Amino acid sequence: MSSNRILTMSRAGREALDWEMERRDDIFCMGEDIYKFGGIFGTMDGFGAKYGPERVISTPISETGFIGMAAGAAMAGMHPVIDLAYIDFIGVCYNVLLNTASKTHYMSGGAVKVPMTLLIGTGGGYNNAAQHSQCLHATVAHIPGAKVVYPSNAYDAKGMLHTALRDENFVIFLTHKGTAGVGWMGTPIKTTLSEVPDTPYEVPFGKVKVYREGTDVTIVGLGMSVHESLKAADELAKDGISAEVVDLRSLVPLDRDGIMESVSKTGRLIVTDEDYLSYGVSGEIIASVVERDPTVFKKPPVRVTTPDIPIPFARPMEQAILPLAQRIADAARKLMA
Amino acid sequence: MSTPVIVPADLWDEDDKTGSIVLWLYADGATVKEGDLIAEVLVEKVTLELEAPATGTLRIQVEPEVVVNKGDTVAIIE
Amino acid sequence: MTLTPELRRSFFEKMALSRAFDDAMIALYWEGKLPIFAFGAGPLPGELHCSNGAEPVGAGVCGALSADDMITADHRPHHIAVCRGVDLDRMSAELLGKKTGLSQGKGGHMHIYDPAVNFASSGIIAEGMAPAAGMALARRLQKRPGIAVTFMGEGAANQGAFHEVMNMVGLWKLPVITVVQDNEWGVSTSKSESTAVDRNSDRAAGYGMAGEYVDSNDPDDIYEASVRAVKRARDGLGGTILELKTARLAGHFMGDQQGYIPEQMKQADPIPVYRAKLIRDGVITEAEADAIQAAATERMAKAMQFAKDSPYPDASEAFDHVFAA
Repeated sequence: MSSNRILTMSRAGREALDWEMERRDDIFCMGEDIYKFGGIFGTMDGFGAKYGPERVISTPISETGFIGMAAGAAMAGMHPVIDLAYIDFIGVCYNVLLNTASKTHYMSGGAVKVPMTLLIGTGGGYNNAAQHSQCLHATVAHIPGAKVVYPSNAYDAKGMLHTALRDENFVIFLTHKGTAGVGWMGTPIKTTLSEVPDTPYEVPFGKVKVYREGTDVTIVGLGMSVHESLKAADELAKDGISAEVVDLRSLVPLDRDGIMESVSKTGRLIVTDEDYLSYGVSGEIIASVVERDPTVFKKPPVRVTTPDIPIPFARPMEQAILPLAQRIADAARKLMA
Repeated sequence: MSTPVIVPADLWDEDDKTGSIVLWLYADGATVKEGDLIAEVLVEKVTLELEAPATGTLRIQVEPEVVVNKGDTVAIIE
Repeated sequence: MTLTPELRRSFFEKMALSRAFDDAMIALYWEGKLPIFAFGAGPLPGELHCSNGAEPVGAGVCGALSADDMITADHRPHHIAVCRGVDLDRMSAELLGKKTGLSQGKGGHMHIYDPAVNFASSGIIAEGMAPAAGMALARRLQKRPGIAVTFMGEGAANQGAFHEVMNMVGLWKLPVITVVQDNEWGVSTSKSESTAVDRNSDRAAGYGMAGEYVDSNDPDDIYEASVRAVKRARDGLGGTILELKTARLAGHFMGDQQGYIPEQMKQADPIPVYRAKLIRDGVITEAEADAIQAAATERMAKAMQFAKDSPYPDASEAFDHVFAA
């Protein structure tokens, strides 16, 4: 009997999808370059050979077309899994997300379901410039009727994908490219790796994960910014600052209770978010706390995010504007001063 | 009875390219079965896979991000 | 606009320079990124999509254009940019993310803009089609003779924007040339796996406009077809879908192993082919051909040195240019 394997998010997610596809005829995959390449992040690696071209469909570059088709197939009783490599591309298919996949169940008074899972890669930090580095999770979380989840480690990736595949709703399943663990994005980040059982299991939506307990300041993040927060927490510990790192991992539904619990304990809140500053997740987290009880704050909450600018290409600019560990740690020290 | 885990000569084509281990799928001291996928090796942008040549306890000798060449021993299975 | 020996020689010069550009960038790309691959490391960070094999398209089409014509290109822009006369030094600097770059380091290789030669490129597939039609519309409103040309791949012809834009170009007879560069591959997806019809130029009939197909990847043939399309546009007869069979020799992006390309689909390098043709036709001698290619390499070396010697932008510059003042 082998010990538990240590997997990357990419491998762990693949296991969940493979397990479900083996047993269920209603699941099929669509996306660009998925049959031969397994998708840009390897979620469907080997699926072409295993399941054949009817269930692993490589599409033309026609996102409005094939994602719209997926919604229709879902309405007709299938459970499509779509691979959309970069969230920057929702620009060319936004209508399907905004008006079809998310709203049909409601507009039909519950008569028509749209069980589909949309896998999307997010994020930057590797100099792929303004149109290939965005996060945009606020943009999709803003759509009523779409569930949005965002695991940041392998254990959650597998469990949440099982949950998504068993959910009869339109689920947008986000993975930050830098956390997926595909070698060409760099050596996998240690804190994204997990021991993963080779049997199926579910991780429920709508619950935060406390990666690291602390007493002085709550750092809330998602995707890559969780791992940057962990790096910052290590640095802060040397200064005697105890940081609690909380992974949202689920935007819709959002665990407002979990956030409240942590901030009530520490009294200090930093929200880190690689999406743009304004009109997004960071504001939502703070509003959620303030609405319930602003007196929990010992100091005003702080946002460490990408500013409201297109992401610049050149490295000195790009690295300066992302919410990396240094900025997060600096914000925490200021809060504690 | 120890079996070395060696980077196979045919794992990638070009002899002048080097690789690096990007992931060990088991912790040092874990139990592995012959044929288990145990490591990922990155050569330029391509990820290749290493399998366990034997069943036993894995003793890792090369950490991620260290350059490896074909023929290098990267672990031992005891 | 005839195919003179001087013009053909200039095609060869431009193709050589474009190839020198791509080869120099390819050689630089891996620096700092290995032995442990890191995307953002080294002097040429990020992604890179090179035009090796497509040079005849740049030379032939741009050869037929005038200064006031406007161009949009896609994520594989180098051959068009070089042949159009985009500032080589500043384009090199942009790929290296330097302050002297065309976008002062903000854009990188997929986002090359040079208003001096009316050139713009961007990274979302088919994104350039609608702006090109809009530029043509602008020229019409401005009562200027300029036309617009958009360069795309055969995969992009399956984007929704293709249908919308082609319909309007056909409907309003806009002076737009849509150059579909068919290099047979959209990343790992071959054209037969993505496109319902054999030829994108045949789709032109569905939009009420002219369609032309050139399969030689030869700048002479491409030039002549371009001249016809340009005349059509300037005479008020509307757009053309100009489908050019070409080659993609350096993969979709850097590091693409191209294992999905079967042996029988390997493509020929057009530069040695054209070089041999010009020598056969007595346009240039072997020695002159060598000199042209050496000059291209040397010119590119100068551009690369300029780029390397240039400073990086300061981090604070990230906040400039979000809005025009």
